[in-house]
This record gives sequence, structure tokens and C-alpha cells, in this order.
Amino acid sequence: MSAGVGVDLENLWIRFGDFVAVRDANVHIKGGDFFSFLGPSGCGKTTILRAVSGFLDPSEGRVLIGGNDMKGIGPNKRPTALIFQNLALFPLMKVWENITFSMEIKGASARERRKRADELLDMIALPGQGDKLPSELSGGQRQRVAIARALCAEPDVLLLDEPLSALDLKLRQHMRTELREIQQRVGITFIYITHDQGEALTMSDSIAVMKAGVIDQIADGKTIYNDPSTAFAASFVGENNVFRGRIKQIMGNEALIETNRSGTLLARISTANQGRMKAGDEAMMFIRPEALALAGEGAAGSNIVSARVNHEEFEGNVFNIFMEGDGGKELKVSIPNVGQSFDDHTGQNITLQYATENAVVVPAGELAAE
Amino acid sequence: MPVFLKEFFKRNGTGMGSLMLALVLFWTIGLIILPQLSMLDFSFRPNLPPPEIGGPKDVYTLENYKYLIYGPEGGSQDYNAVDLKVFFRTLVAAVCVTIFNLILCYPIAYYLAQTKGNHIRIFALMLIIPYWINEILRAFALRIIFGETGVLNNALVGLGIFDTPFDFIRNDIALYAGLGYAYILLMIFPIYNVIESLDRNQIEAARDMGASWVKIHQRVVIPYAKPGISSGCTMVFMLSAGALAAPQILGGPSSLWFTQLIYQQFNDNSDWPQGAAYAVVLLVTCILLVLAVMRLFKVNMGDIGK
Amino acid sequence: MKNLSFTRISIWIYLAVFFAYLLGPLIIMSATAFNSPSFPRMTPWECLTFEWFSALFQDERILNGIWNSILVGAGTVVLSVAMGLAGALMLTQIWPKLRATYYTIIIAPILIPGVVIGISTLVFWDRINRMLGLGADSFLSNGLFLTVIGQSTFIASYCMLVLVARLQRYDVALTEAALDLGATHAQAFRKVLLPFMRPAIASAAVLAFLASFENYNTTTFTFGEYPTLTIELAQKVRYGITPAISALAFIIVVLTVFAALANEASIRRKELVAMARKKATVEELESGKLRLPGFLSSNSAAVALVVVACATVAVAGTAAVYSPQQCIAEVQEQKRLETEQRIQELRRQRELRRQEQQQQQGETAPQAQPSGNNSGFGGVFNPGNLSGDSSSGEDASPTEEPPAGNNSGFGGVFNPGNLSGGDGGGSDN
Repeated sequence: MSAGVGVDLENLWIRFGDFVAVRDANVHIKGGDFFSFLGPSGCGKTTILRAVSGFLDPSEGRVLIGGNDMKGIGPNKRPTALIFQNLALFPLMKVWENITFSMEIKGASARERRKRADELLDMIALPGQGDKLPSELSGGQRQRVAIARALCAEPDVLLLDEPLSALDLKLRQHMRTELREIQQRVGITFIYITHDQGEALTMSDSIAVMKAGVIDQIADGKTIYNDPSTAFAASFVGENNVFRGRIKQIMGNEALIETNRSGTLLARISTANQGRMKAGDEAMMFIRPEALALAGEGAAGSNIVSARVNHEEFEGNVFNIFMEGDGGKELKVSIPNVGQSFDDHTGQNITLQYATENAVVVPAGELAAE
Repeated sequence: MPVFLKEFFKRNGTGMGSLMLALVLFWTIGLIILPQLSMLDFSFRPNLPPPEIGGPKDVYTLENYKYLIYGPEGGSQDYNAVDLKVFFRTLVAAVCVTIFNLILCYPIAYYLAQTKGNHIRIFALMLIIPYWINEILRAFALRIIFGETGVLNNALVGLGIFDTPFDFIRNDIALYAGLGYAYILLMIFPIYNVIESLDRNQIEAARDMGASWVKIHQRVVIPYAKPGISSGCTMVFMLSAGALAAPQILGGPSSLWFTQLIYQQFNDNSDWPQGAAYAVVLLVTCILLVLAVMRLFKVNMGDIGK
Repeated sequence: MKNLSFTRISIWIYLAVFFAYLLGPLIIMSATAFNSPSFPRMTPWECLTFEWFSALFQDERILNGIWNSILVGAGTVVLSVAMGLAGALMLTQIWPKLRATYYTIIIAPILIPGVVIGISTLVFWDRINRMLGLGADSFLSNGLFLTVIGQSTFIASYCMLVLVARLQRYDVALTEAALDLGATHAQAFRKVLLPFMRPAIASAAVLAFLASFENYNTTTFTFGEYPTLTIELAQKVRYGITPAISALAFIIVVLTVFAALANEASIRRKELVAMARKKATVEELESGKLRLPGFLSSNSAAVALVVVACATVAVAGTAAVYSPQQCIAEVQEQKRLETEQRIQELRRQRELRRQEQQQQQGETAPQAQPSGNNSGFGGVFNPGNLSGDSSSGEDASPTEEPPAGNNSGFGGVFNPGNLSGGDGGGSDN
């Protein structure tokens, strides 16, 4: 299997009139990677995909596929195949005709096409369904037909525009695994657009977190989750508790934060910001709900937080405790349910502790909308 | 190249985009705008024999419009009473035909739109079939019926209602019936389309609250169907005022339709500029009338043709 | 309850009146095609005849008109569907600020009177022709060209409306998907957009052809050397009418009913097939054993279609063997007898009068003889008119005869040869 063809975005700007959809994007996507653009709707991720597939011309900068500048090359001449958000299966063609449309364009005979269609139908586990119309298939089946159609074109890069968003939760989770498997098998570069961090985290080798046309952070899923470089990345990927404040003191890779509500706390400075922050800077500290634990009475130190409990809920695998937090946001703690007894704390003040390496400090910035 | 044009070609491809643009430009400019402007220009010129066109005598003049109002120069009358009478009679008659059609078609459109069942499809077919028959033949059919020894007169005399056959043609009854007949479908369909999308529950709710049928139509159905009604009325009015076949076939010998005057100027008198001027007058008057009425009832141009 | 049933009855009466107004004229016109008098009329019914059909098929001008109509129709369909489709596509992607203006421009031809379109087309292309320095026989002043151009101006608007309705349900992503899979823009158009638009294009084409076929107002200014069927019909109807026109109308009515029923039947069948496919299990679909409903099952339109077809065949068969000569002869004989009786009667009256006059005035009588000619029964006394009867009954185009111009209410009644003028003369003057 070849190493696959890489994609590079160099100083990419895309404007629609006065509106800047993509601002100075620089991304290197390794050949054979499963790469995701993750961001809320309207952040410009679909615009990037359309620029890569050739439906849009960049206002500035370059798109390179396999090192070749794609300027002036139309979507039908690029080595990419796009899976549309609504799949865009041709409604009047049968499944096998849909799948082998790219071969029809190249003038392949009906027999060749039939044969290839059967191979691909086997691959996507829909054998013998070639003579149906797309409207006669279920959502998940249509999804797989769209993938087969794109793969039939033998692209170097497969682009996927939120292809799972129309499916129900169960099917979506199943298709994640399936997509990842297919990518591993064919070994080509996948560029995946989503607003669902679960999809991005489970499937991707690399994730770019986007906000309002700007790429905040590019890293693998674990890094993004554990070591976010911006307040937005920290708050958008996974649940996170925020503590606003000001840096009191830098101590190597750690910082003491004077928080607005919870006193002075100690946390690790995120890798990307190490050496860039100084005392007096506005900062935000993030701790995941599952990184907080109940502390014994009278505990004290720079990793101890206490707050009043608003309400509690039992979710099965975890107990969630919601407390008065910072800036109107509730402070959430998730305690794994391992059969321990659990008191009702509503209305009481409780004390929590955390491990310093689980608390991350980033410069103050915009948080993701709920 | 302007940005939107570049995007247009990017989206449609150079070849397909050019073809599309060429067709649209040919239609809008070559077939719609320029011919109308050309006719307008022509209506301000004197009627000259071909060799003199473009010559020194080919200057702009209001002669053709003056003719409609004052008649031929040195004529015996102060005003062109004949043509003006025809002009206003045409407009008034077209308005009457429109109103008659609206009254006739509104109930049937409402009935078709609000009733479910297989017989509605049959009714729809029965509505459409006459519309597929040639306009001339439809007028011809009415002439057979309204003729002096036609079915209607035979029946009326036979039943003893009239002593002698009534001349429907000379009294223009055949003409109005024919114009109304010709455009029934154009009135029904726009109204039908709008009423069909009206939620039946609204009517039920109004009825539930004790509203009478008149009230329901007045307060619920008609306000909702306004775009359809105005669309239908506009089309019927414009087409009646511009009708030529029905007046030629069903019109009485003494009563002319304004389009017949235009036809005469063109074909019998060979006075094209005069005919063009009359056509411009007809077009502008009709458009102004329609716009005025649309303004009165607060409907938009965009609703027409829906 | 009583009130409700009253409403119901009045609705049905209203519907009956409405459809009588709508369909009655067509039925009566069709019936006149089978009645033997040479003026199209249904009452009194004389003889069942098919001769008007053969008269129709021998009419060179009608046949030529049909041919011209088909030529014009074909040209108009191609041009107006192409322009309508381009116009509709443009409407979906035009710059939003221009949209309203653009829509007004392309919808306007529907509202512009046909007469105005005909004149403007004629004037404009005449000017282009002169600007290019071409003669009167150039392509641009050709009746066929002008008619197609003139009709397409507004028929394209109808097509655009039909096409844009379907285009609004088209997902642009489909075209993009085709492009993305390597298709050129032309291929994407041909393989994806066009198949999707096909039903609407078919509707638009039928609509365009019908609109072109029946157009009079525009064509009457532009036809030049190519009079279409409608133009020929208008000429005929204006200058004397015969049941041959009714015969043509009858044929068109039957064709229309036929087409409408066929269309309805095929729609219904598609619905039934789609329903059956939906109900079918995967195995049935795969094995190809799916039983599709038969053509006639639960499809009333198809049944009606077959009935109409059978009736047409039956009528045509009857027409081939049926000869109305016997009946026509009988009617003529009867008319002759009636007329003779009338004449006898008049003679007797005159005889009586003369005797009275003779008794009163003695020798002056012979001078008074022609007084009968002004009495309104004038035609009756003219033996020439009577002999003309028998020939006009078989004449293929009796309308060629000048209208008799007999304005008295009674003269024509006794004279079948005058019938074409009796009514027609009244309005043709």
C-alpha cells in the first residue's frame, strides 16, 4: 500500500464579499491520514473542503494535493472525491449505476461497471442490492453506497462533509468504526468535516479545531483533549470546567492562578503556551469533570476547590454534581459509580481536589457556545 | 471579468455557461426588450415608403398618437370619436369579462381545491380538455350556438320564450360569452393552486366559531387566495383586452375591439407606425391599469404566474 | 341537515351549469360535424353523414395549414424549451439584487397581449433586416422564422414556469457530485440534471406545442407565406363556415380526450407500480418475481381509454360503410314536398286574391303579378334555387359560394342552399 497523497493548505484565505470565511489557514495533512476539521457550524470548515475539492477558488494562498498546486484545476480534474452531507446520490440511477458513475464518465463498458459495482457492494456489505434505487435503501445503506461511489473513482483523497449527521445515534456510532476500517483498508487520505467531537476523536489521526474561520489547534485527538492550546479548543472538545483569573506566578511549566472565585490554584501550562505566558496575564484554567474528586474535610492547598451544590444527577455510570461555578457556568464533577454509597449534597458546600497535571492553563479567550 | 460572471462560469463550466447565457440574453434582450423598444420607436415615426426610411423625412413625430385622439387632420370632428369609443369600450368590456369570470370561477376553484376524491381528477380533466382545443374552434363552437338559427335560438323559440330569434351576435352577448369561455382555465388554476394550500382546519375553526359561509370566505379564504385571484384576474384581463380571434369571429358587425383596429392598421391600411402606436397605447394602458389595481389590493408582481 | 342538503343540491346544479357552459359548445360543435346541412347546426337534425370529414381531408389549405403548424410547433418547442430551461437555471443562480427585475422581464411576455408581441416582432426583425441590407425575401423576413420567434417570446415564459417548479426541487449537490466524480459540466448536465428535469421538459414541450398550435394573435402578424392551421381556420370561420370545420374540431376533441386519458392512465399506472414496489419484499425484488399490476386493473382512466379507442374504431368502421345518400334524398324529397305544398298553397291564395281583385277591379289584374317577390317568400319562387339544393349537398366546399345575402328571416328556411348564408350572412356583412 502506498503512503498516500498529502494535502497542504498554504496561507489560505477565502472571502465572500466582506465576510472572511477562512483566515490564513496553514495545514499539512500527511498522506494516508484520517484528518478531521472539527468546529461548530459556520466556522468555515465546509468552505475549506470546497476549496480542496475545487468548487471554490481561494481568495489568497494555495491548495496543494500531492505537492501540486491545484489553482485553475476544476473539481472534475482533481484527485479528490467528496461525500456530501446529504450524500447526493443520483435519485434516478440504480445503486450500481450510482457507484460506477465515475467509470461511465470515462467510457467504461456496462459489463466492467457491473463487475466493479459488485466488488464494491461486497466491500460495503450490500451484496446483491445493485438494482435498487437509492430511495429504496435505508439511511445507513445509502451512506455506504455514497462511500462506494466515491471510492470507485479511485481518488487519492476522500473528502467527507459531515456524512453521518443525518443518521440516528446508534447507526452513527456504528458507521464511525466502519469508516475508520474502510480508511485503514484502502489507505488513502481522508479529510473529514464534523461538528461532533466524538466522531473526530474516535476516527482521526489528526484533528484541526476551527473557530470562526481560524484554525486554533492541530494535533492528534489525545493532545487536543488533554493539552488544548486555546480556551476555545479546551471548551469545545469534551466537557470542561473553566476557572477565569490572572496568572500570579510562573513556576517552570506550572502556574499559580489567582482565580475570580476559587482562590489561588495551581495548574500546568498547556504545551503550546509554555514560555509564552507571564505573571499578570489574563488566563483560564480548565479541569475536566472526571478529573475532580471529593476531598476529605479540612483539606487545603493550591489544588482544592470548594463550592455550593446546586443539584445532582445519577447517570448510571457516573454521579454528576453541579455546583455554582465561574461566570454563570456551573461547575460539574463526575464521580465514577463503582458501587460506593453516595450522599445527597444539595445545598451544602463541598470540597474538591484535583491532580495538578490534569488542570490546564491557557491564555484567556473566547469559549465555545454551549 | 466581473466576479459574479467568473463565479457563474466556474459553476456552470465555460461551454454550458456560455450557451445558457447566450440563450437567456437572446430571449430577454433579443426577443423581449429590443422588439418592444423598437415598436415604441417605430410608433413615433411617420408612415413612409421603404426607400424613404432613414431619409430626411424620417423624423420623430407625435402624429400617430394625435391620430387616436383627434382623428385625421382636417377631419370633420374634433375628436376621433370612433377609435376612442372602441378603445374605452374594449377596456370596460375586458373588465366586465374579468369580473364575470371571477364570479363564475371562484366557487369552482374553491370546490375543486377543498374537495377530495376521484371525481376531482375527472373534473380537472374536463377543465383542461377545452383549453387544449384551438381558440378559433372554441369561438366557432359558440358561434354555432349563438347563431340566428343556432341551438340556443331554436331552443328559446321552441320553448316559446322568444317569438323571434334573438341576435346574440349583434348584441355582443356571444362575444362576452366567448371571451369568458376562452379564459376560464386561466382564472381557475391560479385560484385553485392557492386555495389548495390553505389548511382546511382554518375553515373548520372559523366554522366552529360560528362564522357564516359568507364570513368565512370574506375573512379567511379570500384574503388567503388574494395572490391567486389577482394573478387570475390580471391574466384574464390582459388576454381579453388583447384578444383578437374572439372579437373577429363573435363580434357584431358594428362593434369593434381595439385589437381589430390595430389589425386593420397593419393589414388593411399598411400603416405600421400607426398600428404600433395603437399597440403601445393598448399595452401601456393595460399595464398601468393592472399595476393600479394590484396596488389597490396590495399584491406583488412576484405573485403572478405562481 | 336540511340546510346542508340544500347547499349540496345547489353545488351540483352550479357544477352542472358550469360544465354545460364549458363542454356544451364542444359537444354541440362535434355533433354538427355529423349533420348533413351545409351550415353547421344541430337542430333540426337531418341526416347522419360523414361527408364533412372527407371534405376536410380534401381541403388543400387545411392540410397545408396543419403542416405549417407542425413546422412552427416543432421550431417553437425546441427554441422555447431551451430558452425556458436556460431562463429557469439562470433564475436559480442569478445575483439576488437582480432577481426581481429579471423575473419581471421573463414573466412579462405572458401578460403582453399577443397582438403586441406579433407587431413588435415584425417591426424589430424588419428593422434588423433593413440594417443588414437584406432583401424582402431574406431569412429574417421569412414567415416561419418570424412566427417561431414571436411565439417563443411568450411560450418560453410558460416553459420557464413549468421548469422552474421542478428545478426548485433539484439538489445542486447532485451536479457537484457528478463534477466531483470526474464529469465535465456538459456531462453532468446531460447525465444528471437532464434526466431529473425530463418529466418537466416533456410537460413544457407539450404545453409549448399546444400553445403554438392554437396561437392566433401573434401569428396573424408574422405568418407571411406560411399560414398555420389556426390562421386558415380563422379565415374560413370569418368568411363562411361549414361543418368541415366542425369535423376538424371533432377530430381535435377526440385526440385531446385520447391524450388526456392516456396521460391519466399512465400516471395512475406509475402510482400503482410504485406502490407495488414499495410493498414488495427484498426477495421479491431480487428474484424479479414481483407481480406488477396489470394495465387495466384498478385503473379507471385506462378503462376509459380503451372504451374511447373502441368507440373510435367503431365510428370509423361505420363511416367506411355507411352511406347517407338515401337519407339525404329522403330529406330532400320531403323538403321538396313541403315546398311544393307551400307553393300550391300560395298559388291558391294568389288565385283567390286574383279572383277577388278581378271581381273588384275588372281588367287591371295582369299587372299585379310580381307582387309576391317582395313578400319574404321570394326565394321559394325561384326554381334555380331549388335545383341548386341537390348539388350543394355533395359539394365539398359550399362556402366558396357567395353568401346569399337574403336578410329576410324566412327566405332561407325553405332553401337548404341558402343555409350557409342565412346565418353567416348576418354577421359577415
